[in-house]
Amino acid sequence: MPLTRINVGPVHPSTHGVLHFVVDMDGDTIRHIETHVGFLHRGVEKLCETRMYMQIPSYTEKFDYLAPLAWDDLYVNTVEKVLGLEVKETAKYARMILLEFQRIASHLVFLGTLCNDLGQMFTMFMWSFRERDSILRFLEDVTGGRMFYVNIRLTGLNRKLPDDFKEHAHALADSLETKIKGYKEIMESNPIFVERTKGVGRITSKQAVEYGVSGHALRASGIEYDIRKSNPYYKYSEMKFKVCTETAGDAFARYKVRYNEIFESISIIRQALDAMPDDNNVEGMPIKLISPQAKPDIIVNNSEMPRGEGIIYLVPDKQRPYRIYFRSGTYTNAAVLEHICEGIKYADLFTILGSMDLVAADIDK
Amino acid sequence: MPEDNAEHGTDAPYTSEQFINAEKEMSYLTQKSLQKAKLSGNVMFTKMGEIAKLAAKPIKDWGRTNSLWPLQFGLACCAIELMAFGSPRIDAERKGYLLFRATPRQCDVMVVAGWVTKSMAPRIKRLYEQMSEPRYVVSFGECATSGGPWYESYNIIHGIDQILPVDVYAVGCPPRPENLFMALIKLQDKIRGDTNGDSEKSISENIKRNEI
Repeated sequence: MPLTRINVGPVHPSTHGVLHFVVDMDGDTIRHIETHVGFLHRGVEKLCETRMYMQIPSYTEKFDYLAPLAWDDLYVNTVEKVLGLEVKETAKYARMILLEFQRIASHLVFLGTLCNDLGQMFTMFMWSFRERDSILRFLEDVTGGRMFYVNIRLTGLNRKLPDDFKEHAHALADSLETKIKGYKEIMESNPIFVERTKGVGRITSKQAVEYGVSGHALRASGIEYDIRKSNPYYKYSEMKFKVCTETAGDAFARYKVRYNEIFESISIIRQALDAMPDDNNVEGMPIKLISPQAKPDIIVNNSEMPRGEGIIYLVPDKQRPYRIYFRSGTYTNAAVLEHICEGIKYADLFTILGSMDLVAADIDK
Repeated sequence: MPEDNAEHGTDAPYTSEQFINAEKEMSYLTQKSLQKAKLSGNVMFTKMGEIAKLAAKPIKDWGRTNSLWPLQFGLACCAIELMAFGSPRIDAERKGYLLFRATPRQCDVMVVAGWVTKSMAPRIKRLYEQMSEPRYVVSFGECATSGGPWYESYNIIHGIDQILPVDVYAVGCPPRPENLFMALIKLQDKIRGDTNGDSEKSISENIKRNEI
């Protein structure tokens, strides 16, 4: 039987951005799949070479727009290392709390859109976006922006935390925990959801290591790797949390890892809130006060983002980066699709896409 | 039931008074539309088709205004706010933005949410051409309006209005969902014909923007 060639995308409701797949079909079975990226490429690395150090966070946060603070924080932390600055004690806790809330918000989008892709239309989407909105309202209260914050400054944050920060954060964590616990029933007791995700898109642990899969997809394949644990930054070494892993490596395991990580994040938030000093001394350096004192050493920095490991390679110059290179986990997660999608049914392609949780803007840069 | 009978004409549905009133109303409407068209009475019968068109226009506009189907088409960050626009906080359906459709052939409104790269521009143009008329374009966010923060990049179109005719601009990075809601209400006003071209300039064309 001759193969039929189908174009999926670039504009497709389930590709989560502008991705293009060329799929060769034999009946309903995929024989070959080719991924085309680059429809959102806007040359960030080139732009960064003409910007001052603290002008760049407004670019970095638009990579992974579901978790803007993650890239922002990694970039500013890299510049801190370049300039040899130490982060304020309270600011370390504050950053951790904001990052974990951001991680929950990002995971909630994953849950909602995964169910939309599987045809379980709008119930989970509406619920998860309701909870995400409550997190965004909290972050807006702290930072002043709804989606993009540009809040992280050298050695601290943009401005002081609000007076009711701790109470508000505790109340939000409690409400999130109770509400997200209710999701389990609608997801896992739904036979269609379980049927369509279990055993679909298996990545073995050997494959995962060979292809450089990162983030939740790596942990779902049974490898316990989390940079918060293996190479802790800020105060993560003092926090008690476990790295969520699954052994199956399929779409259901990936969902399960994401779902359990939300509760780990909530527990980290609570511990950080309890350990945080009360002095509210979080204000960082104003942007204009950065003096040209960068060391000429090349810096490589990484952190655990909601969508895998983010790495920055920075060759510093006096006032701006001479060369900066961003590498995100979504890129390698997109690359593995060509290998795991051969021989599956067409409808399962979108389950795998949804469970890998790609963001096209993060892939393309 | 009396109303059912009325439709089939088995029973007299209207009193004579109602008939007279309806007749008056009809003649009033006809005169009004004639005044609009600046036709003299003599050519009335020859221009019957035109009159029908004139009378049908408000009805057509009303229908178009209240049932707009947006294209489910997200480019970048702003698409997340587009999703929030359909989520419970701002329920878009209450203003007639019914269904986000994935195929352009069923859609009326295209919300361009995100930066437009040089490789994406011909594809967006193709999507626009596939939409059936009348079709409207909303430029959502700084990137779609002017290139935004990527203005100096080598791979960016400086605004979607270089390739498509834009009806409404919503500005912000990204605009809040409320802002998109306002922009789409303005689009509804425009379709209904409530706005005159000059008095209601779009935000980016507004001269006062420089002063602000």
